[in-house]
Amino acid sequence: MQRVVVIGAGVAGLVAAIRLARGGARVALLTKGTGGLQLSQGTVDILGYSPDRVERPLDALAGFAGSHPGHPYAQLDAAEVGAAADYLKELVGPGLLVGDPAVNLQLPTAVGAVRPTALASPSMTAGACVDGAKFVIVGLSRLKDFYPELVAQNLNRTELPGGGRLSARGVTIDVVAREGEVDSSGLTFARALDDSGYRRRFAQAVKAVVEPGETVGLPAVLGLDDHGAWAELAELIGAEVFEIPLPPPSVPGMRLNRTLTQLAKDAGVRYVPGSRVGGFSASGGRVDSVQLGVAGGPRDFRADAFLLATGGFESGSLHADSYHQVHEIVFDLPLRVPEGALVHGDYWGEAQPLFTVGVETDERMRVRTPRGDVVYDNVYAAGGILAGATRWQEKSGEGIALASAVKAADAILAAAESTTSQGVAS
Amino acid sequence: MKTLSADVVVVGGGSTGAGVVRDVAMRGYSAILVDRADLGQGTTGRYHGLLHSGGRYVVSDPHSATECAEENEIITRIQSHAVEKTGGYFVATHVDDPAWGDEWAKGATDTKVPFEEVSVAEVLKAEPRVNPKISRAFKVLDGSVDGWQLVWSAANSAKQYGAQILTYHRVTKIERDGDRVSQVVCTDEKTGEEVRINTNFVLNCAAAWGGQIAHMAGCPDVQVVPGAGIMIAMNHRLTNSVVNRLTYPADGDILVPVHTVCIIGTTDQKADDPDKLVIAWDEVQQMLDCGELLVPGFREARAIHAWAGARPLVKDSRVGSGDTRHMSRGMSIIDHSERDGLKGLLTIAGGKLTTYRLMAKNVVDAMCAQLDDPRPCTTADEQVPGSEDRKNYVITHRLEEREHDRTEDQILCECELMSKGMFTRALADQPKGNFDDLRRQLRLGMGPCQGGFCSMRATGVAHQSEHIDIERATGLMRLFLKNRWIGIWPILYGDQVRQTALDNWIFQGTLDVEHLPGPTHEEVV
Repeated sequence: MQRVVVIGAGVAGLVAAIRLARGGARVALLTKGTGGLQLSQGTVDILGYSPDRVERPLDALAGFAGSHPGHPYAQLDAAEVGAAADYLKELVGPGLLVGDPAVNLQLPTAVGAVRPTALASPSMTAGACVDGAKFVIVGLSRLKDFYPELVAQNLNRTELPGGGRLSARGVTIDVVAREGEVDSSGLTFARALDDSGYRRRFAQAVKAVVEPGETVGLPAVLGLDDHGAWAELAELIGAEVFEIPLPPPSVPGMRLNRTLTQLAKDAGVRYVPGSRVGGFSASGGRVDSVQLGVAGGPRDFRADAFLLATGGFESGSLHADSYHQVHEIVFDLPLRVPEGALVHGDYWGEAQPLFTVGVETDERMRVRTPRGDVVYDNVYAAGGILAGATRWQEKSGEGIALASAVKAADAILAAAESTTSQGVAS
Repeated sequence: MKTLSADVVVVGGGSTGAGVVRDVAMRGYSAILVDRADLGQGTTGRYHGLLHSGGRYVVSDPHSATECAEENEIITRIQSHAVEKTGGYFVATHVDDPAWGDEWAKGATDTKVPFEEVSVAEVLKAEPRVNPKISRAFKVLDGSVDGWQLVWSAANSAKQYGAQILTYHRVTKIERDGDRVSQVVCTDEKTGEEVRINTNFVLNCAAAWGGQIAHMAGCPDVQVVPGAGIMIAMNHRLTNSVVNRLTYPADGDILVPVHTVCIIGTTDQKADDPDKLVIAWDEVQQMLDCGELLVPGFREARAIHAWAGARPLVKDSRVGSGDTRHMSRGMSIIDHSERDGLKGLLTIAGGKLTTYRLMAKNVVDAMCAQLDDPRPCTTADEQVPGSEDRKNYVITHRLEEREHDRTEDQILCECELMSKGMFTRALADQPKGNFDDLRRQLRLGMGPCQGGFCSMRATGVAHQSEHIDIERATGLMRLFLKNRWIGIWPILYGDQVRQTALDNWIFQGTLDVEHLPGPTHEEVV
């Protein structure tokens, strides 16, 4: 049986691990932390800006790749990206993701910007910013990461992407998430809202401020493990309801993360959290094993293939030292580093070159040097570690992660098949 | 247009100007202070936070050493809430000559700077991260001081004596009536209104910008040469005491614990324009190398912010070296009645933050002499507002406050334990202020996340106040993010890259701030 080690438990690592396990591989998923989904919106971005606002992301991909030759999308075509997004959608089901990868939704952010994304939680889609929409944005006085007037009034002064205007007003209600607390986190509210009794009280307080014909925007805290909590709230309030994602920790991101982690375990993936990969051994142009620092001493994980899905700078996978030398921390892989200064002083200006640093891959997602040579025959990469994208600006993070993860997983499975068939032949 | 009048107009809201306005007000003059920006927005806020024991100057500048030692005691007492009595050490690193310590000790004795030679083991016990290869150490009474608290409390003291403090008032002209100063003309930067202040006396405390002010009064060629120095804040205190290198004053010879961070400084580069200081990568590297000497592993520690300040060094070719304007080394007072035949204008520059009160006393004494109106200085004898309890700052004070109010108030900035109540009160006091003005008083956005989590909260809370509409609130956030970046990008390496990536995910990724509706008027001040 083919053995695969996936390193990193963000959306790329989780999806690849599931796909590999379901494809017949024996998979170990090694992860230092909880993975990047908790920092996400709980949506699937494919391409939001190019640099103008994108309405149909899959249609825009070819043109985008053409003008960004070093971008991960230059190696991932629209069909692969669309199929990968659909794959995730099917994995988690319509309770967590809906939408069409080919069409961007335009959803409000927690400061009242209108943000494009392709797939979203069904709890968010009633917030689509279309002409004539009528929102009441409801804030919680004990939750400091959401200011309903800020959201509503910025939305009010926005000319909508599809043309026209919406009308929104903000209102704050005082609901206690945990007795004695005035400073409750979104997660505390989300856990409280998993309880149906609390939901009823919460819904009553919201209902009191809603006027007929209004759609209700709430911070994205409407239940953590109970994925139907938001829908029940909508019914209790008697109005359409939508969630607006908050800064981390992101409750919608945690819902995806928990669901995917469970799916991975269910598929037989051995999930090993809590330690950083601290070394590896290689021979004959292949990596034989990676070493995990665990209690009782380092432990080797041998495998036929290794998928690096460790993310970028935000996860610590890439590290720029005080001399501005950038390192990939697991395999010390060669990186594509732009020429010239890596950082500049214009906050609102061009993307910072530093954040485009990453690894390059061949057409099978194997890591190669900037000159084009494969570094190790069996080391693949997917997601945030790939060079050339400014994901937060392009709104391209999940699209890149999913397409590269699926592609890498399929390449790994295909490599095993060809080895097996060769083995049979000899 | 608005017309005001005062006996004295003080130009410049740094430490010198704040000290001067307090001094003149306490001597019974009516006074108005004007600054083109916020108090402590220039050099005063852009330094390393050291309240000198005097030890730094015992060999190179004995007169300043004695002044520092005396003023250190006074400031620690009258502005106790702004000063932390950290104590400090002078240490000979392995590249320094320990024998120089004998010269230093003699200098300290001669200049009456209190000190005590201590064993290396004692230093390492108190400060375990200090380089164990140090060969010799002296303990001194260094402290750290919050420049903004220092300035604001002096200004608030002046207000109690009737002075007016006009921030964001840019001086555009100084009118004269024959051989006398008659009026200071300003523009209110927040409203665009012209403000004319009739006065008999102008005290030019604009420091690195002092030449420009003197020029407006028709006194050309006052050359205040900005000596630029960079400072880098690390994300926590690597030491709890000030650590100085036991050498002749040089670049990168000091590490100062201030509030939640510690600051390494500094360099000295001649600059052409105090408004265009550069934080060069090679200077950053130089500071990091110096940090390694004092604290091994310094390069692996996390730098969170850098800034450059402009020391106001006076060079005046028109005044001979025998001139008495050298009231003390390091501080210079130019009497324009002697130099340019203009009565009612004195320019003061140079000096150190530690001796700001003494500088103020000297320039106000000079004014009284010119007016032939001797009045005694009383600034050393009275606590400033906020320091009545004579308690010195301690690092844990906010933790204690939050423990008391955590069930009634929210924490907007976890890094600096800044509560919502603190923010709304400061905003009510300064309704036209921007987030940087509030930051200087509250440390908003000054911790490890550099505004990553608190900027949006501050925006939301500010927007809830009745003065700030949606466009201004959004503009304030944009301006704050842009301004924070000025001090982040020059030191962007190591774990701060990771933090910046997270912050970018929040602001661009999740909030999409780039695509908020554009302002019809971009906040610039």
